[in-house]
Amino acid sequence: MAARDLLRVRDLSTRFFTGEGQINAVESVDFDVREGEVFGIVGESGSGKSVTAFSLLDLVESPGQITSGELWYRDEDLAAEFREQRPEAVDGEFVDLRRTSERVRRSLRGPSFSMVFQDPMSSFNPTLTVGEQIAEAVEVQRRASTNPRSTRSRTQGYGLGRMLAGMVLPDSGYVDEDSEAQAVKLLEEVGIPDPAERYDAYPHQFSGGMLQRAMVAQALAGEPDLLVADEPTTALDVTIQAQILNLLDDLQAETGMSIVLITHNLGVIARMCDRVGVMYAGEIVERGTLEEVFEQSVHPYTEGLLGSIPDLDDPAPRLQPIEGSVPNLLDAEMEDRCYFADRCPKAMEKCLDKPPEIECEGEHAAKCVLAETEYHDSRRLPEDYFEEVADD
Amino acid sequence: MISPRTLRNLRSELRRSALAKLGVTLVVGIFLMAVFAPVLAPHDPTDQNLNDSQLPPLGFSTTENRTTSEFVDGEVTIVEEEVTVNATAEHPLGTDSLGRDVLSRTIYGARTSLLVGVIGALLAVLVGVTYGLVAGYYSGRVDDGLMRAADVMLAFPSLVLAIALIGLWGRAAIRIPDPFVAAGITPGMPPDIVLPGTVVLVVALVNWGWFARVARGEALSLRSQEYVTAARSMGAGDAFIIRTHVFPNSVTPILVLATIQVAAIILLESALSFLGFSGATLSWGFDIAQGRQYLSSSWWIATMPGIAIVLAVVGINLVGDWLRDALDPGIEQGEGGV
Amino acid sequence: MTETLLSVSDLEKHYVDGASLTDRLLGVEPDRVRAVDGVSFEVQRGETLGLVGESGCGKSTTGETLLRLREPTGGTAAFDGEDVFELSGPELATFRRRAGIVFQDPFSSLDPRLTAREIIAEPLVVNDVGTAAERDERAAELIERVGLSTGQLDRYPNEFSGGQRQRIGIARALALEPEFVVCDEPVSALDVSVQAQILNLLDDLQDEFDLTYLFIAHDLSVVRHISDRVAVMYLGEIVERGPVETIFEDPAHPYTEALLRSVPRADPSEHGRRVDALPGDVPSPRDRAACFRAVEDHPYWDSDPLAHADAD
Ligand SMILES: Nc1ncnc2c1ncn2[C@@H]1O[C@H](COP(=O)(O)OP(=O)(O)OP(=O)(O)O)[C@@H](O)[C@H]1O
Ligand code: SF4
Ligand SMILES: [Mg+2]
Repeated sequence: MAARDLLRVRDLSTRFFTGEGQINAVESVDFDVREGEVFGIVGESGSGKSVTAFSLLDLVESPGQITSGELWYRDEDLAAEFREQRPEAVDGEFVDLRRTSERVRRSLRGPSFSMVFQDPMSSFNPTLTVGEQIAEAVEVQRRASTNPRSTRSRTQGYGLGRMLAGMVLPDSGYVDEDSEAQAVKLLEEVGIPDPAERYDAYPHQFSGGMLQRAMVAQALAGEPDLLVADEPTTALDVTIQAQILNLLDDLQAETGMSIVLITHNLGVIARMCDRVGVMYAGEIVERGTLEEVFEQSVHPYTEGLLGSIPDLDDPAPRLQPIEGSVPNLLDAEMEDRCYFADRCPKAMEKCLDKPPEIECEGEHAAKCVLAETEYHDSRRLPEDYFEEVADD
Repeated sequence: MISPRTLRNLRSELRRSALAKLGVTLVVGIFLMAVFAPVLAPHDPTDQNLNDSQLPPLGFSTTENRTTSEFVDGEVTIVEEEVTVNATAEHPLGTDSLGRDVLSRTIYGARTSLLVGVIGALLAVLVGVTYGLVAGYYSGRVDDGLMRAADVMLAFPSLVLAIALIGLWGRAAIRIPDPFVAAGITPGMPPDIVLPGTVVLVVALVNWGWFARVARGEALSLRSQEYVTAARSMGAGDAFIIRTHVFPNSVTPILVLATIQVAAIILLESALSFLGFSGATLSWGFDIAQGRQYLSSSWWIATMPGIAIVLAVVGINLVGDWLRDALDPGIEQGEGGV
Repeated sequence: MTETLLSVSDLEKHYVDGASLTDRLLGVEPDRVRAVDGVSFEVQRGETLGLVGESGCGKSTTGETLLRLREPTGGTAAFDGEDVFELSGPELATFRRRAGIVFQDPFSSLDPRLTAREIIAEPLVVNDVGTAAERDERAAELIERVGLSTGQLDRYPNEFSGGQRQRIGIARALALEPEFVVCDEPVSALDVSVQAQILNLLDDLQDEFDLTYLFIAHDLSVVRHISDRVAVMYLGEIVERGPVETIFEDPAHPYTEALLRSVPRADPSEHGRRVDALPGDVPSPRDRAACFRAVEDHPYWDSDPLAHADAD
């Protein structure tokens, strides 16, 4: 039985408007996330992985802006609610979140979507205990479910008196006992020993791995359908990484949630993901099942990436790196051609005319002219082609 | 030593920010005023003319009631008449109680203020930065000892400390011959620039601690940079490392602080002059003190140098902000995705 | 025929932590962190010794201490027969010319205010080698050798990408024609595609200049790729060392085994492979007592750490 889609991302573009110019951080990205699967996004630094994640949760902040795209999220209740009001935003059980209001999107954060960040240290407030922060997340979710479409946290308007009281009596009853108990339970679920004691510890008293677990606990507070994990193990040692990956596995099996796992580590992708998207220069250049992408890769970048990592079990005498370096994504410097062309060992004249189309074969899609053309070595650009161009 | 990149940043920040433009204009204006004072000033600022005392600035002609007693036919009659005191173009900003030209005095005052500010700040930089770099670079006990001393310095209120030191050392004035007068370009002008020597020393002494602190902080973080370790791995000595790596990389915050300190020192100098501790008789602070008694009748005597101080201090601070904004992002730190 | 270039024995480096002035005045006993706690190994001329371990296990401290960039607490490091820790004056200067270092962070390892030319020529300036013109020539030669162009010599570090900066750092380390180079995680801050470029470069340079490397890394795949022999560090100690195939194919120490097990391979067959992960955290040498507890609780802890060392 094919699992149903939970989220369909279509033509998503996010730009940053900075002093140096416009940065096309995410460029017309398409992908689906199924129920109960792990969808991986892999790519090098600056390829737009994190910005994609933030865009999914509508967390892009100025000077960034989602400039186009549709985010179809499956939610029957929401679809029913909008069918009358905004028929164009509804397609069967799917609702295009981009065409709903900010308030709706915010209310979905927690119970529908939540996120785990790369750097656990800077994601917790150092002045509150880890337990309090998790309990607060639980509390926010509980209040939101009794009064849907309104969420509040301690930082949002709570009246002057309340604020003053809060300053004098730090925990004056904002978080009630149920939430506290729930937080302890969550800590236990993510494998933190002595959760009741650990509840009262501050972030700096946790190790990196423990804090990452705590962050997962916080993200689980609203029992989300989709967990977006942005490099959840990059800051960790391999042995701890293995623990966290096991944990994500277990949690997924238990809750049936979907995970979007973002990482630059192809090993983590192989270990965790059912389907994968490879990002380069803001685009998903290849996408498909794990086997399709790893074993039948079409896009030269995917091939290059796989060829450039040393194999733990087989010491190849020489690595096959991709020459050159990752481009910056300034709009002014992006030419109207395949963005990978100047590093691509197979680049042809044809690649320079216009950006290649996405070619699909079933699930497997690649944004490269090779996906439809037979490749002959003779058509390749001369090796120093781009140097000559650059010298002009 | 300024790289083209730095210049580029300075220029683009200047183009972007109206406040930076204002600051630079003010500072350049005051600087030119100080340098070319003898040429710009319409009168000798020390020339007294009691007949023309307390003339108002242009556009502020005043009328005042004057009572005169007349002796007519053996009788004394008291005549009360309204006299108009006309502003004259000769003294566009009016004159003070001794009939000296306020404009000329304000122009000349810029010299004292800027000289004290710049020389004082330079001295403070010299002492403070050396001290702070050594403390920060060696860190540990050296740092503990040195910085405790600097903290003690900073713990005194600067004005009180300054007054105490001047009381101790007296008010030495250094006379530097004015090049314009010496060259015969502006004959009738005062022949010397009077620099209140003690004040310069004192303001440097009162302020070096700030520089020591900033330099120390910079050195402390720079010493653990890998390029410093790299230099040591090639066998570079401490002096070489401080000179080539630590100092150049701490220049930006020091420069920004120095700019702001020039303004602070100008204020301090004015305060000292105002209180009569400076020894300089051609200074904005001194003129404010002089004009204070006439505030009700001749407000301009104290107000004009007051405005000059405000403009100078604001201008210099704006320049400091400009430098900070332009130089800080010059070296962006990047993070690599592993 | 192998010849030992560097022989480290019982190297110790302890840090004294948190000794502020007030602590000293109050007589508070400062914490002692045993970052490196009795490490011994040998590096043969022309080989690459990989030093691998998790964060905080003392890899970098080992590298920097044996280059005399930090003062050792105890032990010896004989470089070509002479104890590095006893050197001073001109002998130390000679040692510094014979041993170089490449750092992890391509951003903090280059002075942002110097141009590539100045950075590469710095070791020559420090050691007073050649005239200004000769140094320029050497900088040009080196920058080309590491795969950049002479046209980039007058650029500042922030105008280069991470990989390019790392190349400049390598050129600097090679300026004095060293025999021995400590590579302290030289690729771990780089993108995967660029990492392979640098690894190949290091390989080529080793052949060309007969370099001996001490290659410090936490990435086991990289260590396997580049090393001839490997030492595995844990908590300031070396728990296992030996030829690279032995360590990777037949690890003797349970910790090495656990490390190898934990690395996810970039292969679809890896999907869903559950790792019997090491329990607990990576202990910090800061909290020695807790570490020992952790280690003793460790299911495999009865094996003698060095029992299988140097099986070659
Ligand atoms: N707040 C911001 N302002 C300006 N540009 C930004 C901002 N955040 C991200 N960018 C730009 O967007 C692009 C994509 O960044 P993103 O953080 O998504 O990369 P990433 O793939 O997550 O990389 P990494 O592996 O380093 O985390 C980059 O060029 C980056 O410079
Ligand atoms: S489109 Fe052309 S240049 Fe781009 S990846 Fe494919 S072959 Fe290479
Ligand atoms: Mg990211």
